[in-house]
Amino acid sequence: MMNIIFLILAHWLIVLTLAPLFVGVITKVKAFFAGKKGPSVFQPFFDLQRLFQKNSVYSRTTTWVFRGAPIVNLAAVLLLSLMIPLGPFKAPLQFSGDILLAVYILSLARFFMIIAALDTGSSFEGMGASREAFFSCLCELALFMNFITLSLVSHSISLSTMIGADTSLSWNLIGPALLLVAGSFFLVILAENNRIPIDDPDTHLELTMIHEVMILDHSGVDLGFMLYAAAIKLFIFAGILVPIILSIHAGNPIVDMLIFLGGMLGASMAVGIVESTMARLKLNRVKNLLLIAVAVAFFGFVVKMWKG
Amino acid sequence: MERFFQLPWQVPFGEFSLKIDSLSLMFLMAIFILVFCAGVYAVGYMREYQGRRPMGLHIFFYILFSLALVFVVLANNVILFLGAWEMMSISSYFLIVFHDEKPSVRRAGFLFLVASHCGTFLLFLMFFLMAHNGGSMNFDVISHSGFSAILAGVIFLLAIIGFGVKAGFIPVHIWLPHAHPAAPSHISAVLSGVMIKMGIYGICRVLWILGVLPDWCGYVLLMIGVVSGVMGVLYALGQHELKKLLAYHSIENIGIIALGLGLGLLGESHHMPYLTVLGFGGALLHVLNHSIFKGLLFLGAGAVIQKTHTGEIDQMGGLAKRMPVISILFLIGAVSICGLPLFNGFISEFIIYFGLFKGLASLPLLGAFGCGLGIIALGLMGSLALACFAKVYGTVFLGQPRSPSAVEPWGKTSSWMIVPMLVLGALCLWIGLFPRKMASLAFLGGGYLSHTDLSSLNMGIIFIPLSFIISALILFIALMVGLFGMRRIFLKGLIPSVRETWGCGFSQSSARIQYTSSSFARLIVELVKSVLLFKREGGEVRDLFPAKIKLTSSIQDASEKFFFRPLFDRLTSLSKKLDIHSIRYTQMYLMYIFLYLIFLLVWKMK
Repeated sequence: MMNIIFLILAHWLIVLTLAPLFVGVITKVKAFFAGKKGPSVFQPFFDLQRLFQKNSVYSRTTTWVFRGAPIVNLAAVLLLSLMIPLGPFKAPLQFSGDILLAVYILSLARFFMIIAALDTGSSFEGMGASREAFFSCLCELALFMNFITLSLVSHSISLSTMIGADTSLSWNLIGPALLLVAGSFFLVILAENNRIPIDDPDTHLELTMIHEVMILDHSGVDLGFMLYAAAIKLFIFAGILVPIILSIHAGNPIVDMLIFLGGMLGASMAVGIVESTMARLKLNRVKNLLLIAVAVAFFGFVVKMWKG
Repeated sequence: MERFFQLPWQVPFGEFSLKIDSLSLMFLMAIFILVFCAGVYAVGYMREYQGRRPMGLHIFFYILFSLALVFVVLANNVILFLGAWEMMSISSYFLIVFHDEKPSVRRAGFLFLVASHCGTFLLFLMFFLMAHNGGSMNFDVISHSGFSAILAGVIFLLAIIGFGVKAGFIPVHIWLPHAHPAAPSHISAVLSGVMIKMGIYGICRVLWILGVLPDWCGYVLLMIGVVSGVMGVLYALGQHELKKLLAYHSIENIGIIALGLGLGLLGESHHMPYLTVLGFGGALLHVLNHSIFKGLLFLGAGAVIQKTHTGEIDQMGGLAKRMPVISILFLIGAVSICGLPLFNGFISEFIIYFGLFKGLASLPLLGAFGCGLGIIALGLMGSLALACFAKVYGTVFLGQPRSPSAVEPWGKTSSWMIVPMLVLGALCLWIGLFPRKMASLAFLGGGYLSHTDLSSLNMGIIFIPLSFIISALILFIALMVGLFGMRRIFLKGLIPSVRETWGCGFSQSSARIQYTSSSFARLIVELVKSVLLFKREGGEVRDLFPAKIKLTSSIQDASEKFFFRPLFDRLTSLSKKLDIHSIRYTQMYLMYIFLYLIFLLVWKMK
């Protein structure tokens, strides 16, 4: 029992420290491409610290839903973080069917985010909420399609096994299917975490945003919770993709950790490069990109079925 | 488990034979819970009609309806079943047309009556085939007679259509979105929570009688589930009338149940007992769960409509401040129906998902594709339902009131109405956090339905994940409590200031500027507008100084518009043509009857 608690705490410690760093690296990469020096990679920590010390402002229109949503959101991603393996650290919470709990816990967080946005009565936030609801439908479609392929590949419905954290996925046998899955999943990461080209986390033009506009009215510790949750969510999604691609098990914990950290660094750089080299898509074309993600995932499934 | 009860009954072919088994138990639980809760709720809800409407009649039909429901589930004889079935349809008709002063209500009631009798007609045919083959009217005896593959297929199809009308499978669902909004709210709750499940019960009973079916039956049911589920929730997204929206969600949930049943059938025909039990068990648990949370939602909708006097979602807003308890209970219902964790909807959907993933891995190619489609459809339904209920909850209870009628003072909601809703909400949470009891009952029902011996199966494959889920959810609750405490500590000594919502510098906005339910759903509806027959009229700004403009948007039911309406128009014109040849004298008809009687006598004499 104590052992499990210790494992959970260690897992959280790693996730809580690495997740903001992941965002910091992305910002650093973007700054490099823009020819700037950019803030330190530790800047997200300072931002969070500042927000946690600040007072909050609430709208007269809001109810407890508005105040509760950040808590639900952060609790959901913290629970979710227990289901992903971190290099040599196995996921403390894994069982047959845990992907379903993972997807639905994320949905629960999303539900509360959306209704918290509607709680303010602002049409800007309504806009963001509506877009979030729409795009997440398409994302979830791609996500499930990928999970189906992965579950067929690994003969399992437990996240750790499916992404090859325990036994490596055989790339030379089913490479094409895995390549399609990885490609589709990368698009899902960008969409689910509201990165360019789907959404721009840095703009402050309310009319065009999705995630940022939903948290427009949050401030102080609530905003801090929301931002921390967003960082952890991005980290978790990258943490699912990395083991699929870097399906290597050295056996030595330190080497495994280095492989994992290297993979995560690569993932954050990939996100940063996409963000620096691409423009945000026009909003009515985002759905096409997501449908492409669904189609790619479907082809992955077809290839798997065909190859047997 | 089986218990029998028999009484002498002097009806040709009939016998008063009742049976309670694990299958009927699941449905009985749903009936008792919801009929009781809705009945208590009605005491508060119907108070305003006291003395103005014939209450005695309403109560009489409510009791008759409840009895009929119980007898439908318990009947072990074809005649008794059909009698109870008719009693249920007719008494529910009188319950639906409570507001018979409104023409729309009368129309909806009539549509319901016609639809359910069209269904019953097929049921007569089906039971005739069954009884003819079995040589008896007793379900137990029929179930022991062997059916040829063709006969079983025909009976299966008749059952799917005949019972499907009651259950609300697309495309024979058209009565449902009209009848639910027309009825008083406690009646809609019972209709949606229990009566449409009688269609599911009928299908289950027929599957139990028929035994193993060829595998195309499983695919048919799976496809019906996928289509009803996805189309149901898409139609729901386009609605802006609260109870009509909930009615379409019933179709979605019936789709989920059909998906589970289809999976069970596939498992049965491929001799995979785990798939069978997971599919049937998940479906039966979803029957119970749906009746609890849909009942809760309809009762909540009733409490809202009683105060606002409108069902238009886009006229409401900000009700969470005025009816806090109802708003929390409605939120529980909404979270449950989206299948989100902590509440009961997640448990049954998890079991069905789990079975589909198992089927994906073990069934042959076509079956694997079917299961894959089922998983995708279930995922899509989940996220669309989430969008739909975020829209409902956000527009009805959150934000600011959109119309003056939502601000005028009103009295407190009667506690006769709140207490049954509390009970239903507590049940949602109970099954969501402690599902073991209900899940084992559902698996027993599923095992009974498929004639599978559960003791030979290792049910740990589903109970172990469920227990993991429970501990994860308890950890989740602990996390929320911990974070709440942390937020308290961070905010210690600070007094949060309360201001207006940030309007980007524009402070004179009216409440009408808020996102409405139609604008919220627009992105999704536009993507599938060709399927939904989405129509927008008006709204263009003309001239330099535009006057008041009007925009209406609506979606139409394809099966109603393109199939049933033309069909019935055709039938009407055909019968008009026949009408020309008829002679308008009563005496003539009496003579026809007389001649027919003579014909029968002569025919029998030889």
